[in-house]
Amino acid sequence: MRDGQITAQDVGIAYRLYREKVSTLKEAVANRFRHLRGAETFWALRHVSLEVAPGEALALVGHNGSGKSTLLKTIAGVLQPSEGALATQGRLSPMIELGAGFDPELSGHDNVFLNGALLGFTRKQMESKFDRIVAFAELGDFIEMPIKNYSSGMYARLGFAIAQDVEPDILIVDEVLAVGDERFQEKCKARIQDFRAAGVTFLFVSHSFEAARELCPRAAVLHHGRLAFDGAVDGAWARYRELARGPVPGPAIEA
Amino acid sequence: MVPAVAAPPLIEVKKKPSRLAELWSFRQLVFLLVARELKVRYKRSVLGVLWTMLNPLLLMVVYAVVFTTIMPAALPNFAIFLLAGLLPWIYFSTALLQGLMSVLVNQELVRKVRVPQAVFPISVVGSNLVNLGLSLVPLFVMMLAIRQRFTAALLFLPVGIAVLTLFTAGATLLLASATVFFRDVRHLTEVLLQVLLYLSPILYDVAQLGSRDSWWFRLFRLELRLNPMSYLLPLFRDPVYYGRIPSLSSLGIACGCAVAMLLLGYGVFVRLEPRHIHHF
Repeated sequence: MRDGQITAQDVGIAYRLYREKVSTLKEAVANRFRHLRGAETFWALRHVSLEVAPGEALALVGHNGSGKSTLLKTIAGVLQPSEGALATQGRLSPMIELGAGFDPELSGHDNVFLNGALLGFTRKQMESKFDRIVAFAELGDFIEMPIKNYSSGMYARLGFAIAQDVEPDILIVDEVLAVGDERFQEKCKARIQDFRAAGVTFLFVSHSFEAARELCPRAAVLHHGRLAFDGAVDGAWARYRELARGPVPGPAIEA
Repeated sequence: MVPAVAAPPLIEVKKKPSRLAELWSFRQLVFLLVARELKVRYKRSVLGVLWTMLNPLLLMVVYAVVFTTIMPAALPNFAIFLLAGLLPWIYFSTALLQGLMSVLVNQELVRKVRVPQAVFPISVVGSNLVNLGLSLVPLFVMMLAIRQRFTAALLFLPVGIAVLTLFTAGATLLLASATVFFRDVRHLTEVLLQVLLYLSPILYDVAQLGSRDSWWFRLFRLELRLNPMSYLLPLFRDPVYYGRIPSLSSLGIACGCAVAMLLLGYGVFVRLEPRHIHHF
C-alpha cells in the first residue's frame, strides 16, 4: 500500500442498543449480566467496501443517520470495525471535529500544543509549526488568552489552523468548511485545494452538491449504512435525490 | 445452512505498531495532560502550589500535637511515622479514585480523536506523583523541626516511589476500564479504600502488633501478609522513619505485586479499550 491509500473491505460497525441502560452493578447482577452479551444490534454500517487511491478525492453523501460520520470515524481510527477490515496508509488529518480536546481554561498557546500532541506530534514539531498556526488563525495577541474568552469563530479558526498544518497523506473533512466568516471560508477552501494539488487523498462529507462537485469528481452515497452508489459525482447526486424521494424506513434493528 | 462461500481475502494490512509502541509515541501528550491538570488546579488560587505542601504540613502539626500531648503514642516522633504511612497511601488512593473516572471524563475526546485511552489514567497518576513529590518538602521540613534523623536510606526513596507508582498505575488502568462498564465501581472503590486504610499498616506497624492468640487476630495477621500494601507502603516508611531499606524479600514481593498489577491492569485495559466507546 502506498501512502494516502484507503481500503475498506466489507466493513461493518455494530452498535449495541440497550432497551434498559445498565450502568450499575446491582442492575447487572439482577439481569445476570445479560447486558454484556448485548440485547440488540444496530448496524450503523454494513458491507461497505471502498477503495480510495492515493491523491483521489471522494465525497460522501447520504441522509442524516446514513453512516457517513461513522465511516469517517472508522477511517480515522476512532471506531474499530465490528466486521470486515479497514486499512489506511500514511498520516491522517481528521477535520471531523475541530479543536477536539481544547481546554477552555488554557491559553490558545497551550491548546495548540495539547491539540498537536493529541494528533501525535512531538513538542519540537509543534514548536516549528506554532508561528504558522497562529498566523493562519489570525488570532494575534489573543493566542495568549484563555480560549474560554474566544468567540466561536476564533475557536474554530484555531482548530482549523492546527488541522491544516499536519502535512497529511489523507485529509478528512466533515462539513467544517462552515467555520468563520466568508473570507476565512475562502481561505480554508484554498488551503484544501493546495492539499489536493499536492496529491493528498481527500474525503469530504457534504450536504451541498456545489461544494462537493467543486472539490471531488467522485462521490459515494450511503443509505442506511449500506453503500448505495460509488461513481461520478453527478450520478451520485441523482441517486441521492432518488433515494431521498423514496420512503425512508426507520433504522433496522436486528434482534 | 447455506454452505459458506470462500471468504474474500482480507486486505493486506501493513504491520501495525503495537499498542505499547503507540502509547509510547503519545508520551508527550501524557506530560501535557499532567501539566494541564496542575495548571488548571492551581490557577486563580493565591497560594497555588503551596496548598499541596501546606496540606500535609497542617496534617502533621495536628498529629504531632494530638499524639504527643493529648494521647501520647508508643512510637517516638509519631507524627513522622504517621505521615510516612499516609503520604504514599494518599498518593495511591487519590490517584486511584481520580484516575478511575478519567476515561469517562474524557469521553468526548475518545469519541472524536484516535488516541490511546491509557494516556488518561496514566496522566492522573502522573499529576498525583508530582503532588507526592511536592509533599516531600513539608515532610522534610517537619523532620528537621522534630529532629528526625536523615539517613542514607532516604536515597532509596525514589526507587520505592517508582515501585508504588507502577502498582498504582496498574490498579488505576484496571478500574478506569471497569468504571466505563459499571459506574458504581467508583462508589465501591471509595468504600473499599476506607476499609483498606485500616486493614493496611498505615496508622500502625506490623511489628507493633505483638501476638495475641485469638482466631480473629491470626486472621488479621494473615490478611496483613496477603495485603500488597504491607509490602508497598514500607518502601516509603522504612527509609523515612526507620532510616533503613526494606528487606530484600519484602522488596521482592513489592516489585512482584507492582509488575503483576501493571500487567493485569494494562492487559485488561487494552483488551476492553475498543469497547469503551459503546458504553459511554
